[in-house]
Amino acid sequence: MKMQWKLPNRVIIQGINKADAAHYTAAMKACGTQVVAVISTGNGGEEVEGIPVFDLVEEAIAKIGKIDATLICASPYRVLDAAREAIAAAIKFVVILTPGIPPLDMVSLQQKAKVNDILILGAGSKGILVPEQICLGALKPQFYRSGNIALISSGEYLACEVALELNLADMGQSIVVHLGNEAILGSTYQQWLSILKEDKNTEAIVLIGQPDYYQEQAAVYYMEAEINKPVIAYLAGLYTPRERDFLDATTIIANQLSYSVSSVNTDKRALAALKKAGIEVAKRPSEIPPLLQTILTLKY
Amino acid sequence: MDLLEYQAKELFRQVGIPTLPFQTIYTPRELKRLQIPYPVVLKSQVRVGGRGKAGGIRFVANTIDAIAAARNIFNLSILGEYPEVVLAEARYDAEQEFFLAIVLDYQLQSPVLLGSVQGGMNVDSLLDNLQQVVVDGEFSSFYARRLTVKMGLSGDLIQSVSTVIEKMYRLFQAKDLDLIEINPLGVSAQGELMALDGKITANELALARHLDIIALTTKDNHLSPQEKAATQIDLSPTIETEQWLDWQDRKGKIAIICNSRDLAVITWDLLCQGKGKPACCVLIDDSRYSCEDAFVSLQEQLAKVLQEIDQRAEIKVVLVNILAEEKVNFTIAQTIIELYQLGEKQIDTTTGEERNLVANGAKSRSHRQVNNQSNSRPKQIPSVKIVMRLLEREIDSLPEDIPENLLYWTDNLEEAVQKAISFGKSR
Repeated sequence: MKMQWKLPNRVIIQGINKADAAHYTAAMKACGTQVVAVISTGNGGEEVEGIPVFDLVEEAIAKIGKIDATLICASPYRVLDAAREAIAAAIKFVVILTPGIPPLDMVSLQQKAKVNDILILGAGSKGILVPEQICLGALKPQFYRSGNIALISSGEYLACEVALELNLADMGQSIVVHLGNEAILGSTYQQWLSILKEDKNTEAIVLIGQPDYYQEQAAVYYMEAEINKPVIAYLAGLYTPRERDFLDATTIIANQLSYSVSSVNTDKRALAALKKAGIEVAKRPSEIPPLLQTILTLKY
Repeated sequence: MDLLEYQAKELFRQVGIPTLPFQTIYTPRELKRLQIPYPVVLKSQVRVGGRGKAGGIRFVANTIDAIAAARNIFNLSILGEYPEVVLAEARYDAEQEFFLAIVLDYQLQSPVLLGSVQGGMNVDSLLDNLQQVVVDGEFSSFYARRLTVKMGLSGDLIQSVSTVIEKMYRLFQAKDLDLIEINPLGVSAQGELMALDGKITANELALARHLDIIALTTKDNHLSPQEKAATQIDLSPTIETEQWLDWQDRKGKIAIICNSRDLAVITWDLLCQGKGKPACCVLIDDSRYSCEDAFVSLQEQLAKVLQEIDQRAEIKVVLVNILAEEKVNFTIAQTIIELYQLGEKQIDTTTGEERNLVANGAKSRSHRQVNNQSNSRPKQIPSVKIVMRLLEREIDSLPEDIPENLLYWTDNLEEAVQKAISFGKSR
C-alpha cells in the first residue's frame, strides 16, 4: 500500500463534549495546529474557543471548506458511524482517539478505508506530533524536541522514554506517531514505514512497542520495500508476564480445542523477524542514541 | 465472555440453526417433569472443556437412572468447575460429525470460516482436516460454499452446510462474537443436520450493546440479587482508582508505582535486565489531572498503595516512575514525603518542646528526621526505601535534605532503576 501523505493543516474534532473540546483545541492550538471546526450533535451554531460547532461534518465542509483530518473522540459504539461520516465527506485521514472499539466495528471500518484509500490511526491513538510544528491529538509536546528521528510507537509513554533519551543525546524527533494498542488497528508500523520513507525530514526511524505480530509484519515489509533509511526497534515487555496475544484463526481454534495455551512465543517470533530483516533491537532506551549514531555514521 | 452450551443453543435457535429439543435442569428432582422422551443425554453445563472424558455427559434411559446420573454430574467438578445447570437433550444418531467455526483472525484482521469433516472429540484428526476461508470483504454466501467445497463436501451437503455457516455468520456479526463453533454438527443418514454441541464467545467490549446476551447469561440461573447486580455492566464513568497489575513475584523485593502501563512494562523490564527483583506493580490514575479534586484522588491512591506495600514484609524498595504534568509530579512527591513522615510520627518519641519546633515548618521536620537517623534508633527507619523518578529535578517547597539512603530522587529512569536494585540488595 502506498499512501499519499502530507501533514494535515485543517483539522476537525468529531463527537466531543464542549468541555473536552475546549481542552483539546487549546492544547493543539498551543502547538500550532488549526482546529477549524468541532462536530457535536445538537450543538451546531455554537462556538468553542472561537471555533465554530456544527451538527454534521458535511455542514462544516460546506461552510469552511476542505478538511485534511478528523480526530474522533466519540464514545466507543459511535466511533464507526463517526468515521463513516468523515469518509463520506471525503476526509482522507481519520484519527480515532477513543479506545475500546468492538473489533468487528474496526474490521468493517478497515474494509471501508481500504476501498476509499483512507488512512486511519487508532483506535486508542493519542495522535501524531511533529515537535514544534503540529500536534494532532493528545500527545504531550513537552517531552519532544525537533529533529530528524521518527518514532512509531504502540505506547504513548514508551515513545516518551525513548524521546527523553534522544533529547539527552541531542537527537530530536521529526515525527511521533502513536499507533495505539488495540487488537485491531487502522494503521500499524508497516503503513507508517511506507509513509515515512518518503518524508524528507526523517533520517532514521525507531519502531517502539510491546512485541507482537505487527513487528513481524513490519520486518517483512522492511525487507520487501526498499527503505533506504536506517530503522531500529525497541521492544518493551520481554520480561513482563504476557497478558494477551492476538492470534491467527487456526491457533485460536487449536488452543480452544485442546484446552491448553498455545506455545507460540510472540516475543521470540518478533525478535527473530526483526533480526532477519537486519533491524537492530535496542535493549533499553539509553542504547537507542548510540545505536542510531553508529548506523547514521555508517550510512553517510 | 464464554456462553454455556444451552445459552449458545438458544442463540442458534434464534437464527434457525437446527438443535435438538432440550431442557435445562437445576436440581435432579426436576427430571421427574422432563418433557423430552427417553432416551436422553444429560450434559454438565460448564465453560471448561473436556467434560466428555471427565464423565460430564451421561446417556440415560429412564427417570430413575436420570436422577442418579444428574446427582453425579452436579457433584462432579470438571477442572475445578461445578455445573449450576445440567442440560437434558434428546439423543441423536449421527452418521458423520463435522466441525464448523467462525473466529476473528487478529493477524489477518478479518473473520475466518473454519471447517473440518472430522468433527468431534478427536482433536488431532479434526485439526489435520481443518480448512479455512478468509472473509476479506462483505460477507456473502459464496464464502460459505467455498469452505464446504474445501472441506470436500459434495451434492446436497454443499448447500445445507453452507446455510448453517451463513446463519452462524449472521450471529457472529450481529452479536459481536469472538468465536462461534458447532462441534459436532451431526449429519444423519438422510443428510439432515443437527448442531449437537455449540460454543459462543461474546466480545467483552461489545457486550454492553447486546442486552439480550446479558439477559441470557444472567436470567434464571439462580443468582442472588447481589450476584445479579455484580454481573450488570456498569456504564457509568469510572472514577480514577489505582490498579494492581496481575504481575506478582513473591520473591521480588521491589514494588513499582507508575502512572501508565507503558511505564510499568519498561520499568519491570529494566529491573529484570539489571538482575533486580520486581515484586509487584501498581498503576495510579492521573488521567483527570485537570480536575480540581484530582490531587485529593492522587493522594488517596498513593496512601492506599503505600499502606498495602507496607504490609508485604518482603518488599524492600518502592520505585516510583511517573511521567506527568508538573503539578502531578509535585503532588506525588509531596504526598510520598508527607506519608513517609507520618509513618514516623506514629512512633514519635520526641518531647512536647521538640514537637513545637517541628510545627514551625516542613524543613525543620526533615532536619529532625536526619538527627533521629543519626541516633540510629532502628524503629524510626521506614520499612521501605523509596526511589522516585520524576522529571522535575527539584520542587522548591519540598524539603531538600532527606537522606539519600531513604529516598533517592532522580529524573533519569535508568539511574532510578540502578538505585532501586542496589537498595534492594543492601540490608
